[in-house]
Amino acid sequence: MFHWLLNLFGRNRQAGGPLKKPYLVEPEQEDRVLSKKLDDNKQVLTEIFDRCEDLVMREIRIGKQGSTRALAVFLDSLVSLETLEETTTEPLQTIQAPPSGITMEWLTEAAVPNARVLIYKRWVDVAGEITKGLVALFVDGQDRALLLYAPEIVDRPVMMPQTESVARGSLDAFNENGRLNLALVRKRLHTTRLAVEKVDIGEVTKCRINIVYLKGYVYEGLVEEIKSRLHRIRIGGVLGSGQIEELIQDAPYSPVSGIGVTERPDRVVSALLEGKAALILDNDPFTLVVPTTLTTEMQSPEDYYNRYWFASFIRLLRWSSLMIALFAPAFYVAVTTFHQDLIPTDFLSSILSSHANVPFPGMVEALVMVLAFEVLQEAGIRLPKPFGQTIGVVGAILIGQVAVTAGLVSPIVVLTIAMTAVASYTLASLNLSTGLRLLRFVLIIAAGFLGLFGVMAVFTMATFQLCAVRSFGIPYLSPFAPMSLGDFKDTFIRAPIWAMRMRPRLQGYVEPVRQDLNKPRPPQPRP
Amino acid sequence: MLFIFLIFEASSAILYTPARVAALAGPDSWFAVSLGDVFYGLLVLLVAVALGKRFPAQVFTEYLPEILGKIPGKLLAATYALIIIHFGSPLLNEGSTFIQLTLLSLTPPAVLDTVLAVVAIYGAYLGIEVIARENGMVFPAWALMVVLLLSLAAIDLNFSNLKPVFENGLLPVLRASLFHSGWRGEVFFMLMLYPYLNQKHEALKTGLLYLGSVMILAGTVHAVIVGVFGGPVTAHLIYPFELLVGYVSLGNWLERLEIVVIIFLIAAYSIKLAVIYHSAGIAVASTLGLKNYRITLLPIALMAIILSRVLYGTYLKLSNYLFHDWPIEALIVELAIPALILLIAVIRKKGGAPDAQQ
Repeated sequence: MFHWLLNLFGRNRQAGGPLKKPYLVEPEQEDRVLSKKLDDNKQVLTEIFDRCEDLVMREIRIGKQGSTRALAVFLDSLVSLETLEETTTEPLQTIQAPPSGITMEWLTEAAVPNARVLIYKRWVDVAGEITKGLVALFVDGQDRALLLYAPEIVDRPVMMPQTESVARGSLDAFNENGRLNLALVRKRLHTTRLAVEKVDIGEVTKCRINIVYLKGYVYEGLVEEIKSRLHRIRIGGVLGSGQIEELIQDAPYSPVSGIGVTERPDRVVSALLEGKAALILDNDPFTLVVPTTLTTEMQSPEDYYNRYWFASFIRLLRWSSLMIALFAPAFYVAVTTFHQDLIPTDFLSSILSSHANVPFPGMVEALVMVLAFEVLQEAGIRLPKPFGQTIGVVGAILIGQVAVTAGLVSPIVVLTIAMTAVASYTLASLNLSTGLRLLRFVLIIAAGFLGLFGVMAVFTMATFQLCAVRSFGIPYLSPFAPMSLGDFKDTFIRAPIWAMRMRPRLQGYVEPVRQDLNKPRPPQPRP
Repeated sequence: MLFIFLIFEASSAILYTPARVAALAGPDSWFAVSLGDVFYGLLVLLVAVALGKRFPAQVFTEYLPEILGKIPGKLLAATYALIIIHFGSPLLNEGSTFIQLTLLSLTPPAVLDTVLAVVAIYGAYLGIEVIARENGMVFPAWALMVVLLLSLAAIDLNFSNLKPVFENGLLPVLRASLFHSGWRGEVFFMLMLYPYLNQKHEALKTGLLYLGSVMILAGTVHAVIVGVFGGPVTAHLIYPFELLVGYVSLGNWLERLEIVVIIFLIAAYSIKLAVIYHSAGIAVASTLGLKNYRITLLPIALMAIILSRVLYGTYLKLSNYLFHDWPIEALIVELAIPALILLIAVIRKKGGAPDAQQ
């Protein structure tokens, strides 16, 4: 869209140019292989890992006789020294070498007890694995290197979800360890259908993305599309799900991405069961789920743990909260500024009398309050934990009382904004509530200038926009638009589990039937 | 696609016509708008679908040159493009007048026109699929509301207002239905939308469903309005439907419900305008031989806004057009010319035979 503009200023000239390779090797050296001589290899290593002072090169001799020289190379910070001693150096030094001479095959089969080993011969691969925290074992006379796992565990344990807490339901959450994240999903899906495909994003960061889906449940075209979008990314580095999300979303300028973000493995698994795919990341506790629609953003995992009557009630409550969070301030502004006739007279007099001392029009009042609330919210997140309470107290006193007594805002607007704030916290999705917060400002301004008509105009435009958004081919507003009545069982209400016999029509059509007739049929007492 | 036509009807027809119909047909207006002009709508629909079946991949303005020959065809296509653009302007004016009279009495109408047009243009820019989806989302809610509000209003229904049936014979009723038929004939937009139907063989069925449901909807609305207010009063109201809903008072606290109607009508007008601008854009683009209709949207909107101000600046001018000129124009534009075109196409054997498309 703005390419021509960037071209005009010469800013875009580098677009499409080659990216720097992560290691200091010329492109023509990409096929360079190891030498048979250990000393040559050592020389190359010192060149490649120039100025990497945490690189350790440990010379050992294999076997009791100590005839063959070997070199263990690793990055100190990533490797557990104890594990390395136990699993590599000690067995190698004590083992009886075979008379036929040491080969790579013998080493892997008989010498090292590690569960996973790799053998590489190109320098690119070997260096790449060393940077990932593997131990490279070079043996004199061999032009291949053995790569062993002896990782230093730099994790935190599995903890409770921070953003999607539930009262009833499983309480484990993803963390920064991609392997562990995968384990949390595998743990729930004991099937060979669970496919895991790996893609590394970023020339330098090599951010590992595990594309996870259920074979036979997912539409294969979706997986292809995900992979092609991921492979299209050519970038120096990505740090987490947010960047990946923006790089693969369908509508680049849309405020909603159509990509679900969750840190709960049960949510991921339920998405997989509906024929979706998930991108589990290394170094990011947030997993991306595609395709995601507005309805899925409105679902909380707790809905499926609670009784369905109650869950349906909560669903309806949440949708109403969405409406309140979106429209309450704008409605206040519109009604007090333009449409006083819409309010019943008794109520109007109380609103007007409370507004009488306020020097600002409704729009300014509401904007100031919403902004103050946003500032408080941001401060609450950013502040170090011990200060958190201070902000709460200051905010409550400042906004709740002093602002009103000082005559800056009317009590009604405080009530409105407070309701808005509380309502917006009922939403289960972070992505949704951030989009909502922005739209709220636009609506308030529209209401300030054109009243309810402005609100409606902005809202119509927003829904037009949402109707145009697709999430990996699935319309974001399905099943409302396009309408599919069968899928309404899991939107405003949550039907009983046994009643949801079919998967969502647009996502789960590869294997549409979710279950048999499972409606409980207890034996009838004899009449 | 069914929904698109329904929202067509739902917006302006419900809003403006009851007064006029009531003035002409009195207690029988429900008959005039339901059974009377269904035949007209049926004719328009049949012509549109027959033409559509002959040229399933093209819109009306695209195949006109094929039927009529290059120059007359292009001329007629251009005329139709202008007609559709013009069609948007009284509609825009209807919308903004309604908003001004009900919500924002002090705002200059040109501002309302502009905002409404911008919303609609945005929808038209995003394409017919998006409009259809939006419509599919708004319409069920709107239908639910109408049913709810009508049943609330029907509490005050007085059946004596609907009697006597056919007091003055059938003639005034037929006149009223003829007057109202322009709205029913809006189904002629099928000509411009036919290539976008995803189930083309169901076009006729969709159209019939539309006519049937509109019959029920319009008939009920008119019956309730006249039943509550009585014919003579209705004839002097500007927005009888809005007033009817405003009249609802349940337990002294559920009041002022007309805001629901206003809100939904704003959405309905946006969608209807979006469809019309989309069709106008397609018509202009196909006439001029442009590949992308989107660049035509802005000038079209500008024209619609200006026309809406210049031609229909006052409510008097608007109602004069809606109640005197439009019915005649509609008869020519919606039925006469397409029927003539169909006749020529049949005689000159242009386009695929209707049964080849089955």
